Amino acid sequence: MALIEMENITKDYFLGETVVHALQGVDLQIDKGEFVAIWGPSGSGKTTLLNLIGAIDEPSAGDLAIAGREVRSLSDNQRSELRNDTIGFIFQGFNLIPVLSALENVMLPLQIKGVSSGEAKAKALNRLQEVGLGDLIRHRPFKMSGGQQQRVAIARALVNDPSLVIAAEPTANLDSETARMIIALMRELNDKEETTFIFSTHDQRLLDQVKRLVRLEDGRIVDGGLKP
Amino acid sequence: MKKWMKLAIRNILRNKRRSLVTLLAIGVGFGAISLFYGYVNNMYEGLRFSAIRGEGLGNLTINKAGWQEKGKLEPEKYMFSKAETEKMIRLVTEENGVVLATPQIQVAGIVSNGITSTIFIAQGVVPGDDRTIKGAWAAFRPIKGEGLHDQKPYGVEIAQDLARYLNLQPGQDGVVMATTLGGQMNAMDIQVAGVYDSGSDATNDKYMRFTFEFAQSLVDTHNAERIVVLLDNWEHTEKMRGILLKKLSQAGLACEIKTWNELSLFYSKVKGMFDMMFLFLFSIVLVIVVMSTVNTMGMAVMERTREIGTLRALGLKRRGVSLLFAMEGGLLGLFGSLIGVVLHISVWAVIRALSPTYTPPGISTPVPLIVDLVPQALFVLMLCLLFLSLFAAIIPARRAAQQNVVDALGHV
Repeated sequence: MALIEMENITKDYFLGETVVHALQGVDLQIDKGEFVAIWGPSGSGKTTLLNLIGAIDEPSAGDLAIAGREVRSLSDNQRSELRNDTIGFIFQGFNLIPVLSALENVMLPLQIKGVSSGEAKAKALNRLQEVGLGDLIRHRPFKMSGGQQQRVAIARALVNDPSLVIAAEPTANLDSETARMIIALMRELNDKEETTFIFSTHDQRLLDQVKRLVRLEDGRIVDGGLKP
Repeated sequence: MKKWMKLAIRNILRNKRRSLVTLLAIGVGFGAISLFYGYVNNMYEGLRFSAIRGEGLGNLTINKAGWQEKGKLEPEKYMFSKAETEKMIRLVTEENGVVLATPQIQVAGIVSNGITSTIFIAQGVVPGDDRTIKGAWAAFRPIKGEGLHDQKPYGVEIAQDLARYLNLQPGQDGVVMATTLGGQMNAMDIQVAGVYDSGSDATNDKYMRFTFEFAQSLVDTHNAERIVVLLDNWEHTEKMRGILLKKLSQAGLACEIKTWNELSLFYSKVKGMFDMMFLFLFSIVLVIVVMSTVNTMGMAVMERTREIGTLRALGLKRRGVSLLFAMEGGLLGLFGSLIGVVLHISVWAVIRALSPTYTPPGISTPVPLIVDLVPQALFVLMLCLLFLSLFAAIIPARRAAQQNVVDALGHV
């Protein structure tokens, strides 16, 4: 069974009286352990597609199943639980909570889940060490560089051992060297833990590293085959 | 819960200036209410003491049934006979919590020093019982002279302005005239046994006190107009009224019983006025607290929209977001209240140290300005403001929770 199953998905937005067809009849399957980049020109529907896969938005029509669960049939609370259990998010702007330290940021998904403080701390510490930030656990985000913040975000996305990590332009705000390091880190985690990574990106350095490219144009998948 | 509490506290500290303004608004509001309550509480206590002890109303006043309505027209018919008075005193004093029950009679007439005459209103009291009722009041407002005494029935006490008007000093003689219950004019010699301060400008120029025996002679009766009952605890007044009404009725004594606060018009009016002022002040503070908290939390929700989106994306449920912001509102209320408690204690300590006095309208002498420190009241007020802030935060908290995750994440 595929981790993500999308069948004839459409997503429309209403801007006043104008209807914007963000996605039109998208069919997509992503399996466990894939390292997938969704790419295409601006306005092609990449972000919309990731929002649907991340269960933070719902399609106007079509069927979407994540880890075998039909998203449309889930209540808001069940979707929250699905996100917490199954999906990790890495945002372009890192989206760390500024009043929390690196460690506390990484502990957050576990604490939302209700894991005890001690267990959450141990797991978060372990993830921070894996991303090379074992020495900066007490630092608040504003005292860290962009690369360090993104690594905290990666640790946060992985701390719940999710099946799927969604990353929106994860290297867009980083310099070349940091971006290369982040890409290598994600690739390593993908290989080692078989965690599925799905990106939206324009970054050629990242596109060169992925196992599969899904190209979107005008809300349609024009190329979804495996990367040669 | 602890971790969310920590997050809420840090979020409050995030915008220190705004939070401080909100906390000060709540704290000053709390202080204003609690200090006013402390002042009013002390004043009510003073007025209660003055009514029960100073005015000599005791806690309960028992009249024959119908006295309030028709007693002035047919006084003798609505007075207690000597036998009824003795029976009633015996029955009343049997009850636990009753310190004494004493007969009284009120007389109105003309008092003269031989040259000048003026009207008076006098209470005929049993001197020993009257001293018991006065209790600590006697030290607070001492009588100039020896006061009433059973062995000297013609000795009277006279209020200070009346004494000044008639130029009567302790030991000097005068005459009182009044109508007997039979409708005849009666005059009796008096000797001033004491000059006292009634506590009120309105009564200091007309009040007198006679011995019960002398007052009976003046109006030519052996009856008593009322029985005044003193309790060991004023809080049992209402309960005791019920008990005595039932007991006296069963004993065949039809009577009506008024409490001290029903008879003290001054207390009732002052209390009514200050209760209204308290309500007005509380309403203003309530609006300030709600508006400050709604404003602060509303700004916080707006500024942290992207953060709310992130928390929702990480799996926090809507209820969790609401709870987080409601908690922040509640903590603002709690910390603001603590500032208010500190403010109250500081002002209370300064007032205690300086012991200022003032003369309220209608009162004959300066009284100390005292603000009570009532821990129970502070605690209740703290709970009140905490829940008020919590309630005020619910509106922005619900708005935060209802936000669309995608829109929230895209908020700039």
